[in-house]
Amino acid sequence: MTALGPKGVESTGFLYPFIDAEETDATSLLDDLAASARGKASESARLQRESLDEYEPVLIAAGIEMADRFLRGGRLYTLGNGGSSTDAATLASLFSRPARGRAVAAWSLAADEAVVTALGNDVGFDLIFKRQIIAHARDRDIAVALSTSGNSEDLMAAITEANRRGLLTIGFSGHDGGRMAVAEDLDHCFTVHSQSIHRIQESHAVLGYRLWSVAQEHMSRPRNGAHNS
Amino acid sequence: MTVTTEQGGGLVDTDLSADLAAAALDLARKFHDGATLWVISPQWEPHAHHVAVEFVHPVIMGKRALPSVALVDPDPVAQARVATQPGDLLLAVASADEPAVVEAMRRASAWGALTLWIGCGSRPPAGAANHILWVDSDDPMVPATGRFVLMYHLLWELTHVCFEHAGLLQAAVEDCTDEVCVTCSDEGRLGEVISAPADPHGQALIRTAHGEEFVDVTVLGEVAPNDLVLVHAGTAIARLDDSAEEVDR
Repeated sequence: MTALGPKGVESTGFLYPFIDAEETDATSLLDDLAASARGKASESARLQRESLDEYEPVLIAAGIEMADRFLRGGRLYTLGNGGSSTDAATLASLFSRPARGRAVAAWSLAADEAVVTALGNDVGFDLIFKRQIIAHARDRDIAVALSTSGNSEDLMAAITEANRRGLLTIGFSGHDGGRMAVAEDLDHCFTVHSQSIHRIQESHAVLGYRLWSVAQEHMSRPRNGAHNS
Repeated sequence: MTVTTEQGGGLVDTDLSADLAAAALDLARKFHDGATLWVISPQWEPHAHHVAVEFVHPVIMGKRALPSVALVDPDPVAQARVATQPGDLLLAVASADEPAVVEAMRRASAWGALTLWIGCGSRPPAGAANHILWVDSDDPMVPATGRFVLMYHLLWELTHVCFEHAGLLQAAVEDCTDEVCVTCSDEGRLGEVISAPADPHGQALIRTAHGEEFVDVTVLGEVAPNDLVLVHAGTAIARLDDSAEEVDR
């Protein structure tokens, strides 16, 4: 049914090129934009579903490990650069300030500009997160690193340090997983298989939300000995 | 309760996609004319930062950097007031009942800003912003599930598509002029008081979408900085109450 439409426009456009250029194109651009938005959203939804399906067993295992650490007083550090630093901050506030459920200690290591610029200026950008891990971390804590490439040096340095100190280490990566996918310092790595940084970040959000959901569910279970089996 | 949305990839339905398209074209036109995009999100600051970094430092090589700034001071209305200039853009990521955003959106036309409002839950009233981009879900967890991230990613992507259509950027939105704009001539233009008259019968300095002007406020009696007033033909003819209700005192 769409085959006839463009054909008709073409023929009248040939007769009235001026009108076609000045008037019809704004409408057709808007139509194209709207169609593009729906297409990209569908792709995002597909990628989110596939990522959740692929990693469901690992998400459950990792969420339970996180819950166990929170129950022992552990806290969560989230790490990322650029847009991923904001997604890391959103993830941290999901844990520390959830609209429902139990709040636990969590913060983004990119959030404090005094600390980040002090470290960046004095010891180098690659160490902005690692030095904070050294300062803050206890062995019951958790580090979640988000990178669409999986290659960010500042994240990898922090993950290595966190692992050395006994933290639970989790990576969110994209593309082919980069260095994160093969890092022995990471207890769990969730690679979103896409070439689009935007679509990867959208899936990171939903994977993070799933981790939170699992951790919440596990923390709300009765915990006296009789229920452990 | 399951959390995943399973409606055939339907994160963005037909209506929302049309809203996004219209918003993107307006955004591109304003940027083309030199606008800065100011972003507020009092409840979810990271979203404001994400929008800003998206436009300033595009993830796709070769796309132009555009001016955008997250305003995350404790008083975003005061921060937006001083930052915004006529022709700018103001984007909020917030629920419809977030007081600071309601206030900023209400004042934005006096500042001359075109407004966009991304959120979820109950919708803001029609006309509360120039573009309302909404996730119609009452789930309070929506802000943490990537739905807003998708929304402003799409906005950024579509805006840059518009830059490839230079001819359409020229056909800028027609600005109101006092003479021809029905809204302006009938209702008056929204103005915000910058400074009260120096003497009882003097004029107040008021900002409107057109810039700053001295206006006769004798009809209203005393006015104070930040009061919202309606300006018609060089005179302030009514005061808008602070409580968002239009009450004449």
